[in-house]
Parts: sequence; C-alpha cells; structure tokens
Amino acid sequence: MAEATLLNTVLFLPLVGIAAIVALPAGADRLVRAISLAVMLLQFVLVAWLYVRYDASASGLQFETRIPWIPSWGVYYQIGLDGYNILLVMLTAFLAPLVVASAFNAITKQQKLFYSMVFLIQFAMLGTFLAQDLFVFYLFWEAMLIPLFLIIGIWGGERRIYATLKFVLYTAFGSILMLAAVIYLVYSLYTTTGITSFAFADLYRAQLPLTVQTVLLAAFALSFAIKVPMVPLHTWLPDAHVEAPTAGSVILAGVLLKVGTYGFMKLGFPLFPDATRMLAPLFGTLAVISIIYGACLALVQTDIKKIIAYSSISHLGYVMLGLISLNLLGIQGALIQMVSHGVVAAGLFLMVGMIYERCHTRELAAYGGLARILPIYSMFFGILTLAAIGLPTTSGFTGEFLALLGAFVAAWPLHQQGNSYPLFVSVSAVLGVVLGALYMLVFAQRFLFGAVKAPHQPFTDLSGREKAILVAIVVAVFALGLYPDEPMRKTEMAARQFQQLVSEQRIAAPIAAVVSKEER
Amino acid sequence: MNPVVAVVIGMLPEHILLGAIVLLIAIEIAAKRRWNALPLSLLALVFATAASLALYSGGFGTAPFPDQLMVDPTATLSKALILALAIPVLLISRDDFVEPQFHILLLSSLYGACVLLSSESFLTLFLGLELMSLPVYAMVLLAYRRPESAEAALKYLVLGGTATATLLMGASLLYGSSGSLSLANFREVLTSTDVMAQMAIALVIAAFFLKAAVVPFHAWAPDAYEAAAVPVTTYMAVVIKAGVLLAAVRLFGTAELSSFTVELLAWLPLASIVWGNLAAMRQESLRRMIAYSSIAHAGYLFYAFLGEGAGRFEAVAFYVLAYGVMNVLAFAALPRNDDDVARDRLQHLSGLAYRKPFAAVMIGIAMFSLAGIPPFPGFVAKFLIFKNVMAAGYTAYAVLGLVGSYIGIYFYLRVIQHLFMKEEQPAVVAVAASRYALGATVICLVAAVLIGVFPGWLLG
Repeated sequence: MAEATLLNTVLFLPLVGIAAIVALPAGADRLVRAISLAVMLLQFVLVAWLYVRYDASASGLQFETRIPWIPSWGVYYQIGLDGYNILLVMLTAFLAPLVVASAFNAITKQQKLFYSMVFLIQFAMLGTFLAQDLFVFYLFWEAMLIPLFLIIGIWGGERRIYATLKFVLYTAFGSILMLAAVIYLVYSLYTTTGITSFAFADLYRAQLPLTVQTVLLAAFALSFAIKVPMVPLHTWLPDAHVEAPTAGSVILAGVLLKVGTYGFMKLGFPLFPDATRMLAPLFGTLAVISIIYGACLALVQTDIKKIIAYSSISHLGYVMLGLISLNLLGIQGALIQMVSHGVVAAGLFLMVGMIYERCHTRELAAYGGLARILPIYSMFFGILTLAAIGLPTTSGFTGEFLALLGAFVAAWPLHQQGNSYPLFVSVSAVLGVVLGALYMLVFAQRFLFGAVKAPHQPFTDLSGREKAILVAIVVAVFALGLYPDEPMRKTEMAARQFQQLVSEQRIAAPIAAVVSKEER
Repeated sequence: MNPVVAVVIGMLPEHILLGAIVLLIAIEIAAKRRWNALPLSLLALVFATAASLALYSGGFGTAPFPDQLMVDPTATLSKALILALAIPVLLISRDDFVEPQFHILLLSSLYGACVLLSSESFLTLFLGLELMSLPVYAMVLLAYRRPESAEAALKYLVLGGTATATLLMGASLLYGSSGSLSLANFREVLTSTDVMAQMAIALVIAAFFLKAAVVPFHAWAPDAYEAAAVPVTTYMAVVIKAGVLLAAVRLFGTAELSSFTVELLAWLPLASIVWGNLAAMRQESLRRMIAYSSIAHAGYLFYAFLGEGAGRFEAVAFYVLAYGVMNVLAFAALPRNDDDVARDRLQHLSGLAYRKPFAAVMIGIAMFSLAGIPPFPGFVAKFLIFKNVMAAGYTAYAVLGLVGSYIGIYFYLRVIQHLFMKEEQPAVVAVAASRYALGATVICLVAAVLIGVFPGWLLG
C-alpha cells in the first residue's frame, strides 16, 4: 500500500523537520526558517495528493496502517483517512506553511525551538485526527498541550505565563477525567465482550447501561467542550489568544479548536448514542448559548484579537449545533463549518498579526481609516470580514447555512409532535447570524474607515510574503464557498456513518453485565 | 539443585557486589594517595546487572537458603532493575564524590537491596531493608557542606529507626498470631479478620510507608532530600524508593487483600498524592520539590497494590523504571555549580534554555514525564496503575487518584516556566557539564525514548 506509507510519511514528516533544524549549527536562522517552510509545503503537497486519491464512494478507513504497539493491552498503532478526518487533515496541512511563513519576522528569539514546537504540534494534531485507536488518540491529544504551552509561554505577550498556565490547567483537567472514562470504557468492553481493544471500531460496539453512558459521555464531553470551547468553559480562550504570538493564535483557532468538535463527532457522541440522544437538547442549548453569548461578547471587545477570539466561540457553536441535530445536512454543514472557520479565523488572526507588527497595539480605538493608507491590506480584510459574516459565495455561508438548516429539519417534526423546544433553540441560533454580521461590520467599519489613525506611521503595505499568505487563504475561502460539493462528497459517507452510529440502541441489559463480571 | 551451585550461581549479583566492596576496602587501605574508585564500582555494577539479567532470562529459580532467600525470576528482574537504575546515579556521583567511601557505601546499600528483593521471611526482609538503608544515612552526611546536612541525616536516621522498630513490632505480632515469620504466611494473613493480625499488617504497612515516604510518614523526606548532595538525593529518590516498593510487591505478592488493607492502601497513598502535589507547589529548591514529588509518586505506586495480584509486579516495576529514569535525567542534566545550595534553586534555573538549551530540554522532558503528560514514559506507567486499579473495581479510588495527579501538573510546569519562559538571569555561573553527567543524561534519554516508543516490549 503505497498510499498508507505516504500517510505515515505525512504524519512523521514533522519529526524529520525537527531533526533537520536541530542538527543545524547555531545562528543559521535563515536556514531554519527555509527548511521549516519547505517541510511544511512538502507535507501539504503530500496531503493534497492523498486528498485527490481518496475514494469518496467507499466507506470506512482508507490508506490504513495497523500494527501492534502494546500487544498485552490490545493497543494498536492504527491510523487512516476517513470522511471524518480528511478535511481536517487537509486544513492542518494547508495552514502549516502559512503559520511558518507568518512567523518569519515576528519570531526573533529561540527560533530553532520555535519551529521545533510548530513541528511538534503539527505532529500531535495530525496524529489526533488520524488515530483510530483510543490509546493512540489520547497520547496525541495530550501531546498537543506541550508545544502550545511553550509557544504561548515563550513567545507570547506580557501576561503570557498566566495565559498559558490557564490554558494548560483547563485542558488538562478535562483530559484527566477523559482518561478515567477511557479506562472505564475499555474495561467495560472487556467485561461485556471479552475483547481487550482500544480500536474505535470495537468501542463503537460497547453496550453500556444508560447511567454509565451518561457519566462517561459527561467526562468525554467536558474534555472536548473545554477544547471547542463551549460556554461556560470558554474563559481560557480569550486569554490564550490575546497572549499567544500570531502563529500560536492561528494554530489555536485554525486547527486546535476543531479537535474538540472532531472529538465529539468521532468519539463522544457515537460511543454513547443513547446518552447523546437523551442529552441532545442540552448540547443544542449550550451550542446556541455559545453562538449568541460569543457574538455578544465579541460585540463589546476593544481588543481586536479578543473580537476574533470570541467570534470563534460563536462560530464553533454552529458546528456543535449541526452535529447535535443528528441530521445529515446539519452534520455535513458542521464539517464544512469546521474547515471554513479554520481558514477564516486563521486568516483574520494572520491579518491582526500583520497590523500588530506594524503598529504594536491591539486596541481597536487606536485604528481608523486603514483603507486609505493600507489599501491592499484592507481589501483582504474586507473579504475575510464578509467570509466571517457568512456571505454567500464564501465558505462561511455554506457551513452556517447547512448547520442551521439541519437543526431546523431535525426540530420541525418534533415541533409537530408538540415538542417545540428544539425549534425554539434552532430559531434562536439565527439571532447569532445577525449579531455576527453586526460585530464584524462594526469592527471593519471602525478599523478600515473613518478618519485615518494608526500608531507608528508611516509603514508599508503588505509585503510579497504577506500577500502570498493571504492569497492562499482567500483562494480557500472562495473554493469552499463556490464548490462545496467536492468536500461534501468526501465527507458524506462519514456523515451517514455518524448519523447511523448515534441512532443505534446500545443500552446494555444490566443483568448481562453483572453475570459476565461474576464469571470472570 | 546442588545447594552449593544454588548459592554460587543464584546469588551471583550479590557476590559481585560483595567482591567489589572487599576490593575497594582493600585498595583503600593499601593506597598511599587519593585514587579514583569509579571504574571499579562501575564495572561491578554493570556485571551485577548483567548477571541478574542473565539469571532472569535463563528463568533461574532456586532457594540458596530455603525459606529465607529465594531466587526467582521476579527477584532477579527486580534486582536487575535496581542495579541498572544505580548505574547512571553512580555516573553523576563522579562530580561530587571521588572518595571510595561513597562507593563502598553505595555498593553496600545495593547489596542490601539485593538481599531484600530475594527475601522469603521477615528475617531476611529486615536484614535487607536495614542493610539498604543504613549506608544512606551516612551518604546524606558524606557531603557535609552545611549544618543542615547533619540535622537532616539525624532526622532521617531517627525516622528510619522508627520504621525499623515498627516493622519489627509488626513481625513479632504476626509471629504471635500465626507462629511463622515467612512472607507466605503474611500473604495468607492478609485476608484475616483477627485483630492481632490486622495490627501486624497495619504496622508492617506503616513501616513501608515510612521508608517510602507516604503521608503521614513523609516528614523526613524533604529535609533529607534537600540537605543531601545531588547524587545522594537521586539515589534516595530513585533506587531506595524502587527497592522499598519492589520489596513491598514481594511482600504482598499476588495475595488478595481484606477491605481493611485496601482502605489502608488507598486512603494514605491518596493523601500522599494530594499533599505531595500541593506542598511541591511552594518549593523553591528543585531537590525539595522532587522530595514532595516523590511523596506523591509513592502514593501512585502504592495504588498499584489495589490492582489484582498478577498485575502488581508489572505495574510497580514499570513505574519505578519510568519514574527512576526521569528523575535521574533531571538531576543528571542539572548544571553543576560550586555553590551546592544555589545549584538547584529554581530562580537560578531561570532562563536556562538561553544558556544551556540541551540541559533545559532534558530537564523539561523529565518534568513533563513526571507530570504524566503523554507521550513521555511517565504517562504509560501511570496509565498502567490506574488501569489495574479500575479493573479491580475501585473506580472511585482511581478517579480520585487521577484528580490528585492533576494537581501535580502545576508545579512541574512551574519548573518549565523557569527554564524556558523567564528571561536570562546570569547571576550564578554554572560549571560546564562533565562527561560523566553527560553520559548519564544520554543513557537516561535513550532509556526514556525506548520506554516511550516501545512500551509493548517491556509490558507483558
């Protein structure tokens, strides 16, 4: 299997990158940057090739590798592409070269360590998406903490240590409870079926009593919801974003937050379908609260990074709403919205970084009329603003529209049966669209138009490197907006599988569990 | 098997150590000037490790002294583990100790550990435990550079004596209630509801808690760890702790526990995890911090006994290996300094990543691993223990323990913060790392990578 080898190459390429730059002599910073960029570009090319080769009509894993890792525990090193992760892997590989390129001027100290950490987090994120074994997934999931802890803590702003500790302590708390749930789940699978396995495919068959499902789902959900983040577990995100260097913000908003929603989709909901259906109104409500509350908070921020940070919370609410609608349209919308937000938020953070490098402030009040002094910058910013609002033809429209549509379609039959709450929740979510337009337009208006003001003038408009970064982003925004069909075909099988898994009845008869425990 | 062969072959690691000790003493008496004892003791240690491994892989099983000493695969593997962990400790001692006294004490202590890990009755257990501990009191004092050392060594000696007394009382109560001193008898008594037997069990467990520094018997550890020279601290944190825990595995074996014993083995270690992790947050000295960290780790290790019998040895052995390697790595990478007190102050480690990136990254890896953050070896070790605890049905204890371990993340990250996130503070000039310390660092790093990437090879 040539493609399977290629997929492994993609996953381990960042480690090769680390080895390459660590081996360089001190002071060769230019070379470090060049090698980092080259490795990331190579990785993107390989991933793009795999994306093209991926067969959308087949269900299940493709390009799979499965080798025993800890045989006595039933742990396998198992990775593969499927409809769940293909877009996210593509997104991760797409953003990586942009992250590296954006840091060329911004990161001046400890460059080797910085690019090593970028490689390391790339490795961990790809591994999290590709892993098909819960143990391996957990390893990668936790391993993401370390590089981001250092990226924010070393190259961040003034309150970086506070922000980075808050980030780690929040996420680690979720992870610890998830770990307990993982062990319990695997052990339950063993007692009920006699199989010791961490493979997702086996765990999807675990039958558990409803109370156990609920507790385990709660543990998984806590961990994932912190990562997404869903209100009220979001308070680490603005701090982390504000203090992180641009590259850190881009990684965080672009990919890392999606790990949370991906976790819900791949693990949380399908592992515990009965509990998920029972708690669906709760998750839906939290999603809509995230949409509206995030938008409201974005509206009142004076720090431009915080505006985008809070808008992320709002936008990921749509993802959660689409997923929990358990409707095919909604699920596919959620998948598109994940990628769309990844591209748009990454673009906006990159642009904030560019202006920060010039003006050294993030206060919105310090800016005005940039359209006159930075016309090219302002044009890109305008496009990304419209994409963030979700204007048709941009990527934001497809995702949000489908997610909302899915929620409506799922809620309507319930409404006719007399349960109007889901419909109420879905309708409330539309309010988020209006608020979203409001905060982005107000932001763009104050930022780009009006009287010209900006500290540290004069400065030049975008450099060639910056233009190249933004062109890539804008191309992706329109590609997703104009041709959503292609990515939707690639993910359709996965969306169907997700829908089917979550609709299964998997409540164990409690007596059977007790008997098998005694037999043991 | 021929009893002579059993004694000669079965106790080969002990003989090698003993031979080296005798040789060291003889040369020291004969030598006219200072001489370097490191090559001889290192050679002895490597050969003893190899002998243990050879006995283990040969599946050697015999009783050189029936009912007192038993050489079985568990024993030989435990010995190999202890002796292998002592090798990098010996290497880093080169920078602080060249005198043969240190080596004689170290090898004697290891000899005690070997006897301890072969013991079959409370007599040999006691003998081994004391022989392992007594040289360490002297080792703490050996680096006598400041008044606290004497105080700490005395404190350690008194509390160690208390542990001895407690163990002896437990053993005599056990003898009184059941008429036997064998460990097999202890394992049978574990499920008994007889008050005298339960007292005996409680006293024996308390003695082990004292030796392993489990709350509330932990008070000696921070002082002793801080006052000792860095290699001695490492030896206490790594080898002694591993010896005590592996001896505890030998003691408990695969026996079932009564609910009384389970509660003893759950609540005190849990308190240890929580208190160790909380107290470590305030420490400014790395050694003192590691002392509290080792109190917490003793808690995790005793949690392993809640698991079902067969998994206990594997869990403890894997844990002491991963934990030991990481601790040695941290101390081996710690830059040298002429001022022993200043050497491990966190504030003096500030910005180490800018001055000595290699050392900083090594200490960083050790800290992440000790915190149990994947993909470093500490995680797999912790996972194994909590998996066993949960599989034995103690879900609540496992969750509480995991939450307790969460508390610990903060202070390890605090070290990373000092290393990487503070700006340079060149107030203290560190001496360049010696090649011995570097060798120990590399050994530990390689071991860590092997444990981290191929845990399947060691497990099962």
